[in-house]
Amino acid sequence: MNRRQWITQSAFGLGSAALNQLLAGTHHPAKADACIFLGMLGGVSQIDTFDPKPKLVELNGKIMDWSKEKKTDQPNLFAKPRKFVASPFKFAKYGKCGRDVSELLPHTAQCVDDLAIVRSVQSDNGNHPAAVFQMNTGFIIPGNPSMGAWVTYGLGTANKNLPAFVAMPDFRSIPFSGAQQWGSGYLPAEFQGTVLRAASEPIRDLDNPKGLPAQTIDAEREALRQLNAAYREARPDNADLQARIDSYELAYRMQMEVPRVLSIDAEPESVKEAYGLNDPITASFGRRCLMARKLVEAGVRFVEIFTPSQSWDAHGDIKKNHEKNARETDKPIAALLKDLKQRGMLSRTLVVYMGEFGRTPDTPADQETPGRDHNTRCQSMWFAGGGARGGSIIGTTDEIGHKAVEDIYHMHDVHATILHLMGLNDMRLTYYFAGRNRRLTDLGGRLIKPILS
Amino acid sequence: MRLCLILSAGLLAAADGKLLPLLTQHCGACHTGSQAQGGLSFNSVESLQKGGKHGPARDLIVAHMTGEKTPQMPLGAKLPAETIAEIKAEIAKLPVNANPTDAHWTWLRQSPAKPQNPTIKNQSWPRNPIDSHILAKLESQNLTPAPEAPKRTLLRRLYFDLIGLPPTPEQTREFLNDPSPAAYEKQIDKLLADTRYGERWGRHWLDLVRYAESDGFAIDGERPTAWRYRDYVIRAFNSDKPYDLFVQEQIAGDEYRGKKPTSQADKIIAQGFLRFAPWEADANSKKQLRQDFLNDITGTVGSVFLGLTTGCAQCHDHKYDPIKHKDYYRLQAFFAGTAIADAPLPFDAVENPKEMKRQQRLHEDAAEAAQQELDAQREALKNQYLSLFKLKPDDPKVKQFLGKLNTKNLFFLDQDLPLVKEPEWRQPLKAYFDTRDKMQREQELARRYQALAYTVKDVAPPAAPEVPDTYILSGGDLAAKTEKVEPGFPFENKPAEIPFAGGSNGRRLALAEWIAADKNPFTARVIANRLWQRHFGEGIVRTPSDFGRNGEQPTHPELLDLLATHLVENKWSLKSLHKFILTSAAYRQSSVHPEQQKYAAIDPTNRLLWRMNWQRLDAEVLRDSILFTSGRLNPQPAGPPVLFNVPDDVAQGFEFFKWYPSPEDEQRRRSVYQIQRRSVILPMAETFDAPNLSSSCARRQSTIVAPQALTLLNGALTRTEAEHFAKRIEGNPDPITEAFWLALSRPPTETERRAAEPLKSNLPSLAAVLFNLNEFLYVE
Repeated sequence: MNRRQWITQSAFGLGSAALNQLLAGTHHPAKADACIFLGMLGGVSQIDTFDPKPKLVELNGKIMDWSKEKKTDQPNLFAKPRKFVASPFKFAKYGKCGRDVSELLPHTAQCVDDLAIVRSVQSDNGNHPAAVFQMNTGFIIPGNPSMGAWVTYGLGTANKNLPAFVAMPDFRSIPFSGAQQWGSGYLPAEFQGTVLRAASEPIRDLDNPKGLPAQTIDAEREALRQLNAAYREARPDNADLQARIDSYELAYRMQMEVPRVLSIDAEPESVKEAYGLNDPITASFGRRCLMARKLVEAGVRFVEIFTPSQSWDAHGDIKKNHEKNARETDKPIAALLKDLKQRGMLSRTLVVYMGEFGRTPDTPADQETPGRDHNTRCQSMWFAGGGARGGSIIGTTDEIGHKAVEDIYHMHDVHATILHLMGLNDMRLTYYFAGRNRRLTDLGGRLIKPILS
Repeated sequence: MRLCLILSAGLLAAADGKLLPLLTQHCGACHTGSQAQGGLSFNSVESLQKGGKHGPARDLIVAHMTGEKTPQMPLGAKLPAETIAEIKAEIAKLPVNANPTDAHWTWLRQSPAKPQNPTIKNQSWPRNPIDSHILAKLESQNLTPAPEAPKRTLLRRLYFDLIGLPPTPEQTREFLNDPSPAAYEKQIDKLLADTRYGERWGRHWLDLVRYAESDGFAIDGERPTAWRYRDYVIRAFNSDKPYDLFVQEQIAGDEYRGKKPTSQADKIIAQGFLRFAPWEADANSKKQLRQDFLNDITGTVGSVFLGLTTGCAQCHDHKYDPIKHKDYYRLQAFFAGTAIADAPLPFDAVENPKEMKRQQRLHEDAAEAAQQELDAQREALKNQYLSLFKLKPDDPKVKQFLGKLNTKNLFFLDQDLPLVKEPEWRQPLKAYFDTRDKMQREQELARRYQALAYTVKDVAPPAAPEVPDTYILSGGDLAAKTEKVEPGFPFENKPAEIPFAGGSNGRRLALAEWIAADKNPFTARVIANRLWQRHFGEGIVRTPSDFGRNGEQPTHPELLDLLATHLVENKWSLKSLHKFILTSAAYRQSSVHPEQQKYAAIDPTNRLLWRMNWQRLDAEVLRDSILFTSGRLNPQPAGPPVLFNVPDDVAQGFEFFKWYPSPEDEQRRRSVYQIQRRSVILPMAETFDAPNLSSSCARRQSTIVAPQALTLLNGALTRTEAEHFAKRIEGNPDPITEAFWLALSRPPTETERRAAEPLKSNLPSLAAVLFNLNEFLYVE
């Protein structure tokens, strides 16, 4: 699709303002047409999910010697004595690949042959807000475009009547800094994520005003069309005027299309059951997973789903916290993977599971119920589908799961890999702002090659 | 942390980051990578310059694209004329040889001098010297300016431009019926004297200084008295505060020693400028937090006042401009003694001190009453808890329970305390949290009326033993200190002379006086360009915060110098510069040119100004205009911020604060008074390209997206105000004509009347349609 077609076909980008910097199109053949990003806010413990540490059983309760380690993630917590905490969860091997998964994630464990697990992702800041910014925008400070905005900027949209980039936070507690986490930063606003709400009106102001009869709405539209046409006729050379007229036509089409795409009522009972919609605990995340599948099916490029802000933040009680959060997300995620696979979509849809950082192997020594604190030195995350090699694994952490020691990757590398699989080269996806060309990956990321198919 | 990125090593100075993307987009399929066709690769500017088997490509590229040389490129296609023109313009910026010429910097480093009026043929067009410069360039390309816009268009242009609101029908009729030649100028004077001018132009300045009333990040704590800076800016514009003084107050108001009249309040409040960056209140490393603060100032002072991307030299020498890595830290050293401060500062007479005090007391009393109610409710809950679990009052569990009541909200309580779901707990807990909300809301309101300034102070002699040293940080890394530096002005090798003033260390004063000096080559040009940009939609330098090589070259450098010298000669009066620009024939041009198609092929982006540029209303202006047209805009100026109703999904789910909307009539005040809270982005502002509040915004985008249509068609603002607009015209014998006059300052044409006729029986719908018209959203 050339640039002109892209402009006229996109529901969200009609302006002429930003096109001089527009790159729409892949840099190399894409493996994935869409990405579903599952943001596990708060930070999942690698030690209790995908990275078993038997050594901790032996050390459990012993005081950890941190004198040789520079701990900057949470200095206040590390100033006092700390003790090791063994995982309260049992591990077993799953799938043909024989991967370790804990009993916390029984459903995800069934899909392990489709997962490419990276146990060695590091990041720059152990504070939630900065870390969540980095997960979503590559930088620990506000003001930068989110990865979905970059992808949309790079690739344009693949559908006529829906946004290219959709975010679905959990409205019980939205991510820190709210809309900035899916914002367009310094990119033009048309690349920002559109929030899909769980409420009856999924996109803000999508529905016609309440109580307005259909014939009144038709009369308004007709009058608006005629008046704008008359104005445009006398000013034929201002392309923006036509673009705005077109944007209204597209808005009308969205009003028809969005409810159709997002209607879950019509889904078979078996699908609803699989995603956990009949269980109040899994319903919220499950509903959003199912919507993600339907959106991708309809041509949406980038979908982000977030757990509640800080939900996985298990300082106080690792067992209770992680059980609750796993219970809410595990079954829906497995259902999403299976559903995508069964529909033949998984091979072209990249699914990414990640938090803003991992967690520590230890807890403050005086704490009664053991928890785990922030850890930027390693986390386990996974890719599935869309060019990721199922059953693969990369990265090694030390014997206590405190830090990555082999095949270490950075958050930037995860971003570079996402872009790569979607046909974009992170070094070439640039936007000129405030004096220089900017990137999602700053000075560039390193592809996580071992997990690519 | 490294913020910058390096394009490709050795990228030549003039490549501004657009050329390569354009070429790779259209030609990249064959001309990139190691297998590039004909050996010509667009991987880097170097490879482009080096060329392929036919030699250097700079002159060949366009020739092959236009078909002047065969084969026509890209093979099998022809690029649109505007794309070729764009590529041509970008190539023209490339240095001819590997040693880029410094003509641009030679010009930029010299103080502006009043230019000669250029020779022009059409002597009858110019109204003032600005026009000679515009016309000379047009004539050199055999172009003529557009005719003057009709009077009605001019009046709307002036109104939106200067006060951000449309004229009333009476004001329009009065102007249309005033045949005197001075009528237009009279309007300029009237609008420049209107206090709404400050509200409009103050907002432009707030964009630039990353103004926000909260810290951002997780806690996003409110800056409860930051609004005094917003009012200071509005007052400064309205009183035509000399720009050199305006600059000095914002950098070193506390140390100001000049003679221009100002007030103690202004001098202290203005320094809020230095503090508006995001602030990670719970940062792990306080040293890094401090360094981030200094880095923000170093970058922001450079871009806002000097039009220089000084921030690019944080980690290394500037890649394009002669700003050394060392210069960055020498500039930073001026702020080495600067510390944030919430300083007690009585309200100035213009800030309405009596009312401030009255409101503060009012809200403190209400907060206290709520506190008492809350204590009683907490006590009752405690007793309920005790009896349920049969606990003794000193049981640690009770303390834990009470702690949760203090710090958590219902959602978080839900997670840790299953009992909240029990019916006998639900009601009292909800009542408790409602009271707590009420108390917090009153406390929040009281805090906004405190006589405090959001400002800075010095930690320096005599207040502290010495000013902290400043070191060059290799790679911008706080752990990589290298050479120690003294404060020094950019481009000057000697250390700055530091005067001692008032009890502070005088460093900021030295910098402020250097920036605000008549002779400073950047300051007047940069602000003159910003004024021009807001009037014309584009600056003479189209990258208004980047005057360096990497920015756009000035389209009319002599004209820019004319404006800059005009400003300095007129004692830095911005109003005088406004009037100079607004009375030019260039500004009065129509936005439609009879030769539009031909001219657009020659100069597609109107760099030569052969017509007026169209401008879409800013988000704030659009909202204000809707309220103004419905007759409901509350004109109350100044004071603590207003919180609008926002959809639940925007304002809920924050752990550290709650969103308490202001009373309805307050919400109808101008948008400039709405709270600028970093984590609550108002949907309409977001949809219509308002700045993101994190970094300086020199130029807003103007996107066209379907959600804008949804917002304007279905949003609460449109529909509520349409009802009120309808009431205004109800009972009028000819409501359609009246509606057109109110919304568009003119009667409908016959065609329009026919189109509107079906809605005559449904006036709110007519009103809603008018709010959605292109003509309502665009200034011609």
